[in-house]
Amino acid sequence: MGRIACFVEKYNFSDPREEAALENFRRAAEEAGQEFQFLFREDIDEIPRYDAVFIRATTDPLYTSYVVSKTAWELGMRVIDDPESIKICANKIHQYALFEKYNVPRIPTIFLNKDELHHRKITGVFETLGKPVVIKAPYTSFSRYVEKAACETSFRDIAKRYFKKSDTIAIQKFVPTQFDWRVGVLNDQVLYVCKYMIPKGRWKHGAKLRGKPTVIWGRTVSMKKQNAPLKLRETALKACRVVGKGLYGVDLKEVDGDFVIVEVNDNPSIYAGYEDLRDKDLYSKIIDYLTE
Amino acid sequence: MKPAKFLASTAKDFTLNLDNDYRYMKASYYVSLHAEILGNDVIPSSENIIDSSRTPILLLRASRAGIPTVPFVVTDSVKKISNEVGFPAVVFAVNPFIHEGYRTAYNRTALYRAVKSLGMNYKFAVCAQPLKGEMSTFKSFFGKCSQDEEARGIARRVYQLFGIPVCKLHVQRIEGKAYLSGLQSVEKSELTPTDLKTISHEVLLLAEQGDHISG
Repeated sequence: MGRIACFVEKYNFSDPREEAALENFRRAAEEAGQEFQFLFREDIDEIPRYDAVFIRATTDPLYTSYVVSKTAWELGMRVIDDPESIKICANKIHQYALFEKYNVPRIPTIFLNKDELHHRKITGVFETLGKPVVIKAPYTSFSRYVEKAACETSFRDIAKRYFKKSDTIAIQKFVPTQFDWRVGVLNDQVLYVCKYMIPKGRWKHGAKLRGKPTVIWGRTVSMKKQNAPLKLRETALKACRVVGKGLYGVDLKEVDGDFVIVEVNDNPSIYAGYEDLRDKDLYSKIIDYLTE
Repeated sequence: MKPAKFLASTAKDFTLNLDNDYRYMKASYYVSLHAEILGNDVIPSSENIIDSSRTPILLLRASRAGIPTVPFVVTDSVKKISNEVGFPAVVFAVNPFIHEGYRTAYNRTALYRAVKSLGMNYKFAVCAQPLKGEMSTFKSFFGKCSQDEEARGIARRVYQLFGIPVCKLHVQRIEGKAYLSGLQSVEKSELTPTDLKTISHEVLLLAEQGDHISG
C-alpha cells in the first residue's frame, strides 16, 4: 500500500466544488488501496513518511509549495507538481522562451525588460502586435496580473507595476474569443477537455467587475475528450512535452481553425462538476500515476 | 556584456552571470535562464538561484551533499517551533517578499513577533533553527572568504554545489565547528574596493574557460 500526501492550504477548502474534488481524490486513492492524507503547512517535516506527494496548494518557486515539491523530489519521491514544472509554469517568460525554442504554436509574444520601458520601444510593440496588447506578469495565475493596454499611458502604468517583482514581462497580441479551450494533460495523455467561457462583455475567464473586488468567472463547459478536435489535443500535448511529464492545464485559443497556446499551467484547477464532468476517471488516473 | 545586451543575443558560449543580486525574477535570473535556453553552460544555474535563496532547500541539498548544516523546521506554528526547536531560535523567512537576514528569538514573545513579521501575518511559513552557538555572517566570492578554515570549507563547498559567485553566508559556530544556516544576496553598498578586486581576480581566472561574461 502506498501513502500519498496531498499538500493543501486552507483556501483549497473554501470552494465546495474544490473540496468535493479533493474528496473524490481521497476516494479514488482508497479504492485503489492507497492511503491518502492531507498535508498542511505545519506538517512539512512529515514528507519522508510518504511515498508520493500531490500538491493542490497554489505553486510558485517563492511559495511553501515549492519547498514541498523540491523536498519530495530530492527524496526521490513521485511528486505532482514536480519542481521543474513549477519553475517553468510559474514563470511565463521561461515558458514562452521554451515554446519559441521548440516551435510550439503560440500567441505572438514580445519580452520587455525593465530598462526598455521607453517611448520608442512601446511604439514598436504596438506596431508589431497592434492595439490593444495584453500585458502579462510572469507570475500570472487565475486570470490575475494580465491586463489590456491600448495606449502608452496605460501601458506604462501596468508595466511599471509588474516590473516591481519581475525584471522581464511579456506582451502579447490581443486575441478576443468567446472561450478558451482547456485541455487537462497527465504524463503525455489527455485527461479531460473543457471550454472556459469568457463572461459577456469581458475578455478573460476571470474578470473583475468595475470598481469591485469580486471576480466573476465564466462558465465551464465540459465535453468528452474524444469529441474535441484532434488538432487541439495534439497542440496541447506538443506544448506539454516541452514542459515535462506531470499534470497540466493547457489554455488554447482557436483562431481561424488553428490552435495557439495561451499558456500551460501546472497545478490546474479541478472542481467537481466542472473539469471532471465527462471524464470521471481523471481522479483514478492521477492517483495511479502517483503510485505506479 | 550588460544583461540587456546578453538577453537580446544568441551568444553560444560558457556564460558567467555576475551580479550582486541573485534573486528569483531579477535580471540575473533571466540572464541564467536565457543562457540555459541557448544551451550554454552557465554559472549559476537558474535552478540554483531559486534553491539557494529558499533556506529549507538550501539546507536540505547542502546536508545531502555532506555540508554541515543546522537542523530546521518549516512551519507557521509558534507552538511547533517552541516544542521542537526551543530557545533561542533563529528564524528565516520563506516567502516572496522578504529576502534579507534572519531574526533571533530568545523567548516566546519574541518568537511570536518573528513568526508574525517574517511569515507576513501567518500567511507564509518560516524556517526555524535552534541557536546553539553563535551566528556569523560573511561575504563569499566564488567560494572564497576571509574567515577561518571551518568557514572557508563551508563557503567552498556551498559554491561547488550552488555556484553563486557573489553572496553572503550565514553560519552557526558551535564548539569550534561551523554549520551552514542561510544564504542571501549582497547589497551593492556592501561591496568594498577590496571585494571588487577579489571578484575581478576570480573572473580573470575563469575567463580562461570562456569569454561571454555578463553583469
